[in-house]
Amino acid sequence: MNEYYLHLAIMSCIYLISAQALNLNFGLGGLFNLAHVACYAIGAYTTAILSVDYQYSFFICIFASAILASLLSLILGAISLRLSLDYFAIGTLSFSFIISALLINWKELTRGVLGIPGIPRPQIDSFNFTKFPNFQELITIDFSDNYNFLILVFSFAVITNLILYFIFKAPYSRALKAQSEFIHASQTLAINSTAVRLWSFTIASFFAGIAGSFFAYYLNYIDPSSFSLQEMLFVFSIIIVGRPGSFWGVLFATIFLVLLPEGLRFFDLPSSILGPMRQFLYAFILFTTVYINKGILFPTQRKI
Amino acid sequence: MDILPQLLINSMITGSIYALVCCGISLVYGLLRILNFAHGHILMLGAYSYYLCNNTFGINFYLSFLLSFIFIAIFAAFTFKVFINPFLNFNPILVFVTTLALSIMLESLVSIGFGVNVKSLDAGELLNSVEIGSVYITPIQMIIIASALLLLTLVAFVIHKTVTGRLIRALSENSPAGQSLGINSHYVYYGVFIFGSLVAAFSGIMLAYETNLQPLMGNSYTIKAFAAMILGGLGNLWGTIIGAFLLGLVENLSIGLDFGGYSLPAGYKDAFAFLIILVILIIRPQGLFGRTYRKA
Amino acid sequence: MLDIQGLHLTLNKLHILKGIDIQINSGETVGIIGPNGSGKTTLFNSISGFHQSNEGKLILNGIDLTRLAPYHRARLGIGRVFQNFGIFREQSLLENILIALETKQSFWATIWPWSRQNRINKVRALGFLRKVKLHEKANEKAASLSGGQMRLLEIIRTLAFGAELFLLDEPTAGVSPKMKAEISEIIKKLKKRQKTVLIIEHDINFIYGFCDRVIVLDAGRVVMDDTPENVRKNPRLQEIYFGTKD
Repeated sequence: MNEYYLHLAIMSCIYLISAQALNLNFGLGGLFNLAHVACYAIGAYTTAILSVDYQYSFFICIFASAILASLLSLILGAISLRLSLDYFAIGTLSFSFIISALLINWKELTRGVLGIPGIPRPQIDSFNFTKFPNFQELITIDFSDNYNFLILVFSFAVITNLILYFIFKAPYSRALKAQSEFIHASQTLAINSTAVRLWSFTIASFFAGIAGSFFAYYLNYIDPSSFSLQEMLFVFSIIIVGRPGSFWGVLFATIFLVLLPEGLRFFDLPSSILGPMRQFLYAFILFTTVYINKGILFPTQRKI
Repeated sequence: MDILPQLLINSMITGSIYALVCCGISLVYGLLRILNFAHGHILMLGAYSYYLCNNTFGINFYLSFLLSFIFIAIFAAFTFKVFINPFLNFNPILVFVTTLALSIMLESLVSIGFGVNVKSLDAGELLNSVEIGSVYITPIQMIIIASALLLLTLVAFVIHKTVTGRLIRALSENSPAGQSLGINSHYVYYGVFIFGSLVAAFSGIMLAYETNLQPLMGNSYTIKAFAAMILGGLGNLWGTIIGAFLLGLVENLSIGLDFGGYSLPAGYKDAFAFLIILVILIIRPQGLFGRTYRKA
Repeated sequence: MLDIQGLHLTLNKLHILKGIDIQINSGETVGIIGPNGSGKTTLFNSISGFHQSNEGKLILNGIDLTRLAPYHRARLGIGRVFQNFGIFREQSLLENILIALETKQSFWATIWPWSRQNRINKVRALGFLRKVKLHEKANEKAASLSGGQMRLLEIIRTLAFGAELFLLDEPTAGVSPKMKAEISEIIKKLKKRQKTVLIIEHDINFIYGFCDRVIVLDAGRVVMDDTPENVRKNPRLQEIYFGTKD
């Protein structure tokens, strides 16, 4: 049972990275970004391939995942963000589908629907702090223990959230909010709205890549089914429930929604129903929250 | 062997299905400027409700058609009333979110009710291919092509020749004149939405005969419809329909023809549509047949 | 300062601006009047860069604006006050002013919330709010303001942004008579500060008070460009507004 709590804590931390990043883009900027789960998948697969096939170390894998995800989204954003938001929604949706088609069909690289098993947990060489004054001795921290892994992912979640907290407080976020409410007025204040949107998309994808990387490390095994559109909906519901653009709201909503489907366990449903039931629950929560709060969720876009 | 005629017929079939799916989504976009992410799932629901009537309850062909059409009409009205109409005066993101939530709800409900496995309908002799010249075609495929052409002609007639059509066009241009015609625009919205859903449900039933049924089928048709819309220009109905046929053509040619000993694996057929979206967004965002596009 | 040469604009197949030629000198206050649909707001939108003109040139202080993006034109000193309120209602009054102050600062200041620059900005923003007596509401959402206060906030925000050319689109629309006087006060202050101001206005008497010149637009063309007295005397004005006397 202790293992089980560890599992929930680790999943909360991973979603915290992913959801808070999407909050910057979807919540503050009002951009309907459906490529987030694709970036998450890119992160997970980059880590899996680099660490299984090429035995790269932890920091290289995580960095490569984040950079690859943000580079691809930079290209996608440059294509679709200069147009209206409808085009952005369709463009990101099609990007997600391209990525999932690649995951399934590019068998030489991703092994198709079979997935990639045996992703090793990271190992970090570190100084032995118990002998702090004369730190000549190197020890290796092994994260195959879930408790150690929780500490690792928790520290990354804290760092990510701190960075995003700064961004949420910084002048940049005001510009992002302004363009979502009245893009023309923001442009007359010399805000380059396309660049502002593009940055938010790239930063969000960067952290999505990191979250995906941790996801791959944690499960040791990934396959394309973990990165479907339903996964995206879960992150959307976190943001809508936590109030778009609100840092603390999304933080608590993440923990709440990760723990919520555990209530379904008491009903003793067969596993073939449990999965769809969980999806339905999230979609229903998402819809009811939007319905109740429709007036206050996103500012109405105004036009000239 | 020359496979080109067969490929052309195949792309005609695929194109007809896409055109039927696009028809509703494009009309609704033109009227309300919203993207309905659940359109493909309404198609899936239509197919499953027909499956329920025909296969599970053993009701005959015509009655099952009628029953599932009635069900889809009611469901579409419900969808519009609950999932779209309350959010029209707010940020368009809300409609994206609610229709996406609806699509996931439908998918999970159908998965719970019917299981995630592939189901198929038995059409009997309708699936035996007939050889005409050098091409093979099944009767069901002929029905698909014929009904698509028929329905599109009907839509063309309604939109360009009748009073209702003039109203739809006026409302689509989003001009104050459209709203001040003194007619309750809500009836038009409901009518168009229900019509689009029925056409989608019809193509869903045809698809169920032509291929098979599975809860995941909705998504891929929604995105194909989006691809055709981008190809033809957002909100441009006839551009979209030409886009749908082009998409069918490109998909079939891309996997059917071999490019100097190398042909694209069939698994990439779907990805191809999305690649087209991205290419069009780069080179011609207003669509192949659009004149102006709405800049951010 | 601003030189508009032969501007043509077509929107949705409608030819709206049919060759506009206007020269505006630095420090002038110019009123633009004309019946509905004569292309006043469209002219402002094409100066701000929201519509790309089909023909003609826009030159600001010797720089050709014709192909520049809206944010780039704003950086060159074009400020805009929208008819339907350009303030950000979901943000506080202080944040509204801060957005205007923050666009010209260093990269470091845009990402680090507690930099010295940002602390200075806050003090300056409160100073600007005090000028229009809104400083007590600094932390309230802008949505809570009345129409007139929103307009005042938007004008002071444009001033804080550092605009040299003000485009005011119907500053008195949806404003109570008492606030009208305040808005006219603040426009006079802008004039005193040597800012160039263009005002679209329906209330002709409102702009006669302080305009140096009045331009009358009709059906996408400039039909009069003269001092307020001469325009008021001109019988064509009546024709344009109320149709020809037959």
